[in-house]
Amino acid sequence: MSGRGRQPLGRARGDDRVPSWLGVVACAAGAALSLLGPEAAAAGSDAGAGGSAVSSTWLPPGAASSPVPSAAIFPPQSFALRFDHRRHVKGLHLGCVSCHAAAKTSDSAAERVLPKAVDACDGCHGTDHRDLGAVKAGAAPLGACASCHEMKAGEVARVVAPPANLRFSHKKHFARNIGCGQCHGAVGELGLAGREQLPRMPGCLTCHELTGPAQGGAKGDCPTCHLVRSDGKLVQSFAAGTLVPSRWLRGAEHGPDWTERHRYVAADDSAFCGSCHKAQECTDCHDGRVRPRSIHPNDFLSMHPIAARQDSPRCTSCHQEQTFCADCHRRTGVARDVASGNRPAGRRFHPPPAEWTTAPRGPNHHAWEAMRNLNACVSCHTERDCATCHATKGVSGGQGVSPHPAGFAAVCGGALRKNPRPCLVCHVSGDRFLGTCR
Amino acid sequence: MRERPRRRATSARRSAVRRELACAAALPLLLGEAEAARAADYEVEARTEAQAYEVASPWGATLDRRRLTQTLGLAAHNLQGAYRPGEADYSVVVLVRLDADLGVNDQLSGAQAGGETTYATAVPGARYVPGLRPAPLDVVYGYVEGQNLAHGWLGFRLGRQYVTDMLGWWSFDGALVRVTTPFFVRAEVYGGFEQRGELPLSTSRYEAQGVWRGSHSDFGTNGDAPRLADYPSFQYAEPAPAFGVALESAGVSFLHGRLDYRHVYNQGTTITQQFPDPSGGYRAASGVRTSTEKIGYAADGTLGPYGDVRGGFAYDLYANTFSSVFGGLEGHLGRAVTLGADVDYFLPTFDGDSIWNWFTHDAVLTMTGRAAVRLTRELDVAATAGARQWRADGDPATFAAAECRAAASEGRTTGPDCLGTTFDPSTGAVRDVVRDAANRTASATTDGLANVAGRYRWPSGDVSLRGMVQAGERGRRVGGDLSGEKRLSGGRYSLGARTSLYDWDDPLRPDRSATSFGYVLGVGYRPMSSADLRIEWEHDMNRLVGQRFRVVALLNVWAGR
Repeated sequence: MSGRGRQPLGRARGDDRVPSWLGVVACAAGAALSLLGPEAAAAGSDAGAGGSAVSSTWLPPGAASSPVPSAAIFPPQSFALRFDHRRHVKGLHLGCVSCHAAAKTSDSAAERVLPKAVDACDGCHGTDHRDLGAVKAGAAPLGACASCHEMKAGEVARVVAPPANLRFSHKKHFARNIGCGQCHGAVGELGLAGREQLPRMPGCLTCHELTGPAQGGAKGDCPTCHLVRSDGKLVQSFAAGTLVPSRWLRGAEHGPDWTERHRYVAADDSAFCGSCHKAQECTDCHDGRVRPRSIHPNDFLSMHPIAARQDSPRCTSCHQEQTFCADCHRRTGVARDVASGNRPAGRRFHPPPAEWTTAPRGPNHHAWEAMRNLNACVSCHTERDCATCHATKGVSGGQGVSPHPAGFAAVCGGALRKNPRPCLVCHVSGDRFLGTCR
Repeated sequence: MRERPRRRATSARRSAVRRELACAAALPLLLGEAEAARAADYEVEARTEAQAYEVASPWGATLDRRRLTQTLGLAAHNLQGAYRPGEADYSVVVLVRLDADLGVNDQLSGAQAGGETTYATAVPGARYVPGLRPAPLDVVYGYVEGQNLAHGWLGFRLGRQYVTDMLGWWSFDGALVRVTTPFFVRAEVYGGFEQRGELPLSTSRYEAQGVWRGSHSDFGTNGDAPRLADYPSFQYAEPAPAFGVALESAGVSFLHGRLDYRHVYNQGTTITQQFPDPSGGYRAASGVRTSTEKIGYAADGTLGPYGDVRGGFAYDLYANTFSSVFGGLEGHLGRAVTLGADVDYFLPTFDGDSIWNWFTHDAVLTMTGRAAVRLTRELDVAATAGARQWRADGDPATFAAAECRAAASEGRTTGPDCLGTTFDPSTGAVRDVVRDAANRTASATTDGLANVAGRYRWPSGDVSLRGMVQAGERGRRVGGDLSGEKRLSGGRYSLGARTSLYDWDDPLRPDRSATSFGYVLGVGYRPMSSADLRIEWEHDMNRLVGQRFRVVALLNVWAGR
């Protein structure tokens, strides 16, 4: 597991030129591996959900939760090099900054901290990299180009290491005596170190758990490390990918069923959502005016009555029933309390009265529907519809059919004190039942 | 001597805090100050959404919906100058929306022309819908915000804003102050007026359920104006004072909890009894009363690389009942598989002015298991399966029989259905029978449900599949969608398509069962980096409505973002 002679890690993963049919093959292989178990899946191709050929003990802290570095944060790299960290660190007893000297002074993620050959390599290898257009090889074997570089058609293959899409200062961390291994893992045990040794956010959070006014520099607010737009929201779209939460972060992985699940996270910590999303993104659906097809599929108008009865999706998450729903129901004559011209005479939405409203109460009686899903009733009916029968007899104008649940007498007093209005819809103020509640 | 530098630093910090607070207080002046304005970041976004489609009533009549929604968003960020993480920043945002339906009244002609919004037609009120506005204008949100004031201790918002928490997604006009302490606790206090429909520049979206409110400005007593007698359920829209507090954890990423309390009041006059007095008048009540009063808590915790757990509840202090409870557990199996289980309890509760809080109704309990697999970076799937239980007080199969036996055993005389729910207020006859919990049984019906979702994404496109089935005594719905989008020329053009097939069966209304097939074709064009246009054509077909078409056009133009 030294990694010696391995292909650069992350190359396949970041390469969008991979034929799409390979994805299908990888998918099938990934599925099979997943079924075999975590270890089998973990050993899979890096083109898949994230495989690793580096021993887990040498990976950076946090790799257990986040096995693969974010492609959005750390764009794909190509280290076309032959390099053995272990030989340099363990064999030659070189420290990290012997070669990565810039790590002591770099104050921005845009700055490269990879070794400069002229400073780090030439002294030992006998090469001359001062003019990168005319590099002079040293004495073979260690000074030969191919000793360190992969060659392509006789040319030195290029090293591609785009900067991380982060706000990061090596200098600050170095100054706080934070060792390289605290973020990069046991690089000294490896041959060529690739993307797998890049920091994982769970590792960062072992220190960055402090809130705004807390003392110290390792604050936990997102903009401490992440790039932000002018409105303070995180930059999410990068050439290499889109920044989205991983599953280890608040269980907020934005998978294909995220729309159905996001409420659990939003109910608990909407500020977390607000790190990336503007309020308008919420209003687009929750107070929207264009039907989102990811929620309501094609022809939802035709099927919405059965969806409402099944409470799926929950109508009241986005709609105020007495206005949004009932306004349209009044216009189409579906509601009961509608203008005379909106409903053709003799038309009835519900089953016949013998089943739906009058006694005896059979299985199709409206009482069962109301008890099971009262919201469905409220989307069409005004309270006068219900008061027609459920108000007390006499001045209140009803038939005295009590709709109250068992145990109502125990709670009605408190409710009456907080708001007498609903009581007075069906009871007159001198009503003896109201007196009982008082 | 050693104290001096510290004192100096403390003094400097105090000065900075004073500056920030002064800055917050002088924000309106800052907004007008040219020098500060130059440093700020501005955003303007205008979105035009045009839709044309038809809505068919069950008896064949159709409404033309020709909708034009125009939103305009303006924002100025970093009014303090350059943005520096962790330091005080100020912003102003506003989003205004005009939502016009040019199809309102369109189906009416002759003597009824304009009748949906005008009461005084040849047959007054024959088509009138109180509260229906053809082109309402509202401020979706608009506030001034300050963050990270006083070294991160303070934040505030002033204006129309949202609070999203366990108690729901809610909007109010007012002020919110947030205090973040170094002790991993944050407190929030807010107060103002709930956003309510028919109040100026407002929608009814955020009101509690169960009350039909609106403006009575066009109401009158003559025959040519709507009268209270015609619409006693239509309540007056009045400003609703509200306040709330919240306490939540802050800072740590592996554990979060938030405790919320919110109280909203109704005020003003409300019509109570729904039928006229012998004198012809309608009774009304007035005064300050509870609209909603709720407390809620939600929390989540990450179990390292192994999974996470979450839960929460909302308790309605007015209705004296839990209105929502949920809990969930997820486990991470390997790098690609997530397994989980969720339970969700939901009992509808309503505005304090609504009668429906006090109608017998039961909760919906949903239990599901979930599996999500991220097969590759491009391909992931998720599936959910479970059951949803509906409860009712009484068993439809035996309800009347049980009540008959109970009534007979007490020698009481009941109605033909033996329900005993009809009683004379003066005597309360048979009340004991039906109110006795021993005579009540609960029954439950269960729906089976399953969802599957999958997507395959690549840099220039995606394909998604979604399927669902929900079946039980209350009906069956099964179907799925297949959709995809392909972006061309680096996103300058896009092509989209969606096709769907759904079948549903409604046992209560068998004549409304149907199978639907539909498709959507869309094309997008981005003429410049700050504008995009999309047009979609939807065609649905089922036996209830025949062929139905929908055209949607979206134009988005922005600057500064």
